[in-house]
Amino acid sequence: MNSSRTILIIIIVFIAFSLLIAKLFDIQILKSEELKYFAQQQQTKIESIKAERGFIYDRNNNVLVFNRNDISFYLDLRMANMETRKKVAAKFASVFGKSEKYYLNRMQEDKGNHCIEKKAPSEKAILLKNFTAEGFFYEEDPTRIYQYNSVASHVLGYMGPDFTAMSGVDNYLNLSLKGRDGIRLVEKDARNRMITISEQETRPAEPGNNIYLTINKTYQSILEEELRNGINHFGGASAIGILMNPNNGEILALANMSDYNPNRYWEFSDDDRRNKAVTDTYEPGSTFKSFTLAALYDQKLCEDDELIFVENGRYRIGNSYITDTHPSNYLTVREILQHSSNIGIAKLSQRLDNELFYKYLRGFGFGNYTSIELPSETKGFLKKPNDWKGTTKAYLSFGYEISVSPIQLITAYCALVNGGILYKPQLVKKEVRKNGELVKEIQPKQIRRVISEQTSAKMRDLLTNAVEKGTGKNAKIKFVSIGGKTGTSQKLIDKKYSKVEYNASFIGFFPAENPKLVCYIHVNSPKTAKYGGAVAAPIFKTIAEKIVNNDLQYFQQQPADLQIDIAGAQPIKENSNNDNHSTVLASVQNFEQPSNHTVRLLPGIMPNLTHLPIKDALALLNKLGVKHTVQGSGKVIQQSILPGEKIRKGMTCKLECQDVSVTGTVIY
Amino acid sequence: MSALRIDYKIEDLFDFKLFLPVLALIGIGLAAIYSSTVNHPTASGNFEKQVIFTIISIILFFTVYSIPTNFFRMAAVPAYLLSIFLLVIVLVAGKQVSGAKSWLDLGAFGFQPSEFAKLAAILAISAFLSRTNSNIENFKDIIYTLTIGFIPVGLILLEPDMGSSFVFFGLILCLLFWKGISLFGLFVVLSPAFIAVSSLFGMYYFLGGLSLVLLGLLFFRKDIFFSGSIFALNIAAGFFTDYVFKALSPHQQKRILSFMDPYADPLGAGYNAIQAKVAIGSGGLFGKGFLQGNQTQLQFIPEQWTDFIFCVIGEEFGFIGSVITIIFFIIIFYRIIKIAYSAKDEFLSLVSIGILAVYFIHWIINIGMSVGIMPVIGIPLPFVSYGGSSLLVNMIMLGIILNVFRTRKYYT
Repeated sequence: MNSSRTILIIIIVFIAFSLLIAKLFDIQILKSEELKYFAQQQQTKIESIKAERGFIYDRNNNVLVFNRNDISFYLDLRMANMETRKKVAAKFASVFGKSEKYYLNRMQEDKGNHCIEKKAPSEKAILLKNFTAEGFFYEEDPTRIYQYNSVASHVLGYMGPDFTAMSGVDNYLNLSLKGRDGIRLVEKDARNRMITISEQETRPAEPGNNIYLTINKTYQSILEEELRNGINHFGGASAIGILMNPNNGEILALANMSDYNPNRYWEFSDDDRRNKAVTDTYEPGSTFKSFTLAALYDQKLCEDDELIFVENGRYRIGNSYITDTHPSNYLTVREILQHSSNIGIAKLSQRLDNELFYKYLRGFGFGNYTSIELPSETKGFLKKPNDWKGTTKAYLSFGYEISVSPIQLITAYCALVNGGILYKPQLVKKEVRKNGELVKEIQPKQIRRVISEQTSAKMRDLLTNAVEKGTGKNAKIKFVSIGGKTGTSQKLIDKKYSKVEYNASFIGFFPAENPKLVCYIHVNSPKTAKYGGAVAAPIFKTIAEKIVNNDLQYFQQQPADLQIDIAGAQPIKENSNNDNHSTVLASVQNFEQPSNHTVRLLPGIMPNLTHLPIKDALALLNKLGVKHTVQGSGKVIQQSILPGEKIRKGMTCKLECQDVSVTGTVIY
Repeated sequence: MSALRIDYKIEDLFDFKLFLPVLALIGIGLAAIYSSTVNHPTASGNFEKQVIFTIISIILFFTVYSIPTNFFRMAAVPAYLLSIFLLVIVLVAGKQVSGAKSWLDLGAFGFQPSEFAKLAAILAISAFLSRTNSNIENFKDIIYTLTIGFIPVGLILLEPDMGSSFVFFGLILCLLFWKGISLFGLFVVLSPAFIAVSSLFGMYYFLGGLSLVLLGLLFFRKDIFFSGSIFALNIAAGFFTDYVFKALSPHQQKRILSFMDPYADPLGAGYNAIQAKVAIGSGGLFGKGFLQGNQTQLQFIPEQWTDFIFCVIGEEFGFIGSVITIIFFIIIFYRIIKIAYSAKDEFLSLVSIGILAVYFIHWIINIGMSVGIMPVIGIPLPFVSYGGSSLLVNMIMLGIILNVFRTRKYYT
């Protein structure tokens, strides 16, 4: 045959050969490292190993919160053709007992990564262990389980979507609970299935620590049950109850009614989920009288049997009148507390110097955070003496022109009856590693001495008298003597004190001589009665009865000598002389918080803005990127996005502001 | 024949220099198939199947090697008609595999008529061109040749199977070339293909290509009528290509477009091209070792045991393994060229060169697409890729070549 054509063919073959060899040399020799790196990149992935979240226990080692290791199954619909989908649907139908059609229809409506089954329990998931399909994958998707459903829900909090702790201890102690996620380097095939795990590149997950609360689950259940009964009986928008050990500040129970089930938190309103005991404030009314009286006694400015003219039930100060529900002409100091006379306490309070009175109130912790281990705490609002009007002191003396949170009030009451020491309210007892090793045990924290032991003993006596003979009669129980004070305050609605909406409250303690438990009960807008003595005291009574029956020995003990370690507590009594204005001011400053407001900011969570000057509130909102509208001026009294709520994009927070003052109204 | 009996040495009857490289390639192929399927959930039985195919195909090879050489010329027309018949059947009753209706389902095994049609077309065209009164300078002969070649191409394009059609273009061209077509004749045949490809790149390339064709026509100085009709044919080829391109299924369009820039759509059509290159490149000089190729073992390239088998070789046996594989092919090509050149009979010479064309085009496109110098056109690597039809037909063709070698001295 034609040899030139043969040569041409040989040349073509040779050119092709050279091209291939050149290209192979290029990619296998010259670009080899680069392509090796690329290959490794796509073959290996860094995966995070989820750390198990710590459990939460009550003080008696009852587990309250744990995790269920569920698994969620997904299908990447972009990779799954009809055949694969049918295969997946058939498999899941057989495992989960639903119809194939159900799965196929849902795949039809979705695109991208489709969740076939969310949070499948592990016993079902194990059946799918060896199942493979194009685009099929799964993820560990643990579920936080709140063992007793709504019990202690406000203390524990709940886990929102993506396993984010939204409130309660779960949120506050997130850092301790969440542990540290591990990482591992895994080799994956083109379908994203794990093939091998590189041992030396693996860092195991460190599980979160277990938290032991001071909560007593039995007390907590009793409290919740009785609050529920109380609301059913008396009506009312909501109720709050707190049980606290006055001798170390431990919270034994804390409940809001109505409550919610953290396992199904999405079925409840934000309002139900809010821990009003910590985030909300109100004007406490008569329960506050005890603090005025304590200051007077501590300064030795009054005597038990001193007679005070109580103006036959109507007393004018400034532009308004103070009235008593049971008018009399003269009452002893003891009787003033016993009958809860507004006029009597208002008149007595005039003996106190403004700064000194303020100093005592700061000393009891009002206008300041208690630093309880819960998120979104409010610090309430206590006016500084400079801002006091002529009538302020009188109103303050029976619990108006001040806003306090329930937790502040009970913490202050503990100091009032425990011998005079203010403790930090304590919710966490200890933190323990998963392996049982103790991380830390939280010791009771004394903040300061507020009043002398004698004053405290006097207050116990007077408050016991108030229950024995006075407004708190309904709180009396058998076997154990009770001390306590009722409170009924009108609610401020639309800048006016309502005549139908009340806060009915009662704070009691027992045994009266040597208090081991302080109990706070608060019913918001009761319907069938309005007085604390009629609404809150009976609730207190049933709770106290049940608790005492539960642990009779403990509460019937003879009073031992109060042994309070005063080291570290700052006595404020020394040198605090009425005339010596400068010393008083100096010690006032001791209690002052730095003037800039410290608000705990959690990214994406609404802080408590109440009582903040408007410019500070706006600065915070700007920082958080929340749009806002403002109504009025002065200080924030209401915010449309409640504290603790998650901030979503495009939200607008409506702030209502007001120059907080009370004039021209009649107060009971 | 006669009393004069010449004692041939075995080397004279059987071309070991051609056969042994083929056996080596089959061995390499089996290793690569084993490596790419052993851990695969659905393809793990393919190795055993391929071993069976290999045994059957070697038996077939020796059968074809032994039969009288005359048989091939006689079989040309019936084989061609049978192949057309099968191609029609597959369009009517074929099994759809990844978008193309190219399989005839024969119970346990599927069969691809397009593989067989290549051989049939080679035999038919060779028979036509080696007629005693054939004249390659005759325009009519060229047209007849093209017609014989393009009937199967048309049917295969309907499946649609781009890769096989491409092989047909090559083998027709190669046979015309070997027959001795003139430079002008080659120009007439090639220019429409050139226009067809350039039209894919867009309007300006199309117009540019047409002006080059015009220059060529001026160079050959044929009469105006003839030149005009060739020019018209070229324009028609351009529009026809455009029409065919639009008629292609979207995934095939994407494949063609992704050749121009595989990284434009890295998760789509260009995915295989990139993954193949990564696999081969990451093999480096010596490779990662048998069964050690991560790209292969982790199945980053789908169906790697078929069209992307060369990636397994490149990744696990490295540059050295790749070059050895390529050199085996070069030896095979060289031996076939030698046989085709030395064959005394024109028909057998043409058949040999046609077979060479089929092997060569499969080889350059398959390896070329794996290393990224050719578009991703799904055709197997001869003797190496998994697949029964392909291996059987390739071994039959090899049998014909060796048959030609065996009898090369009989024909004058």
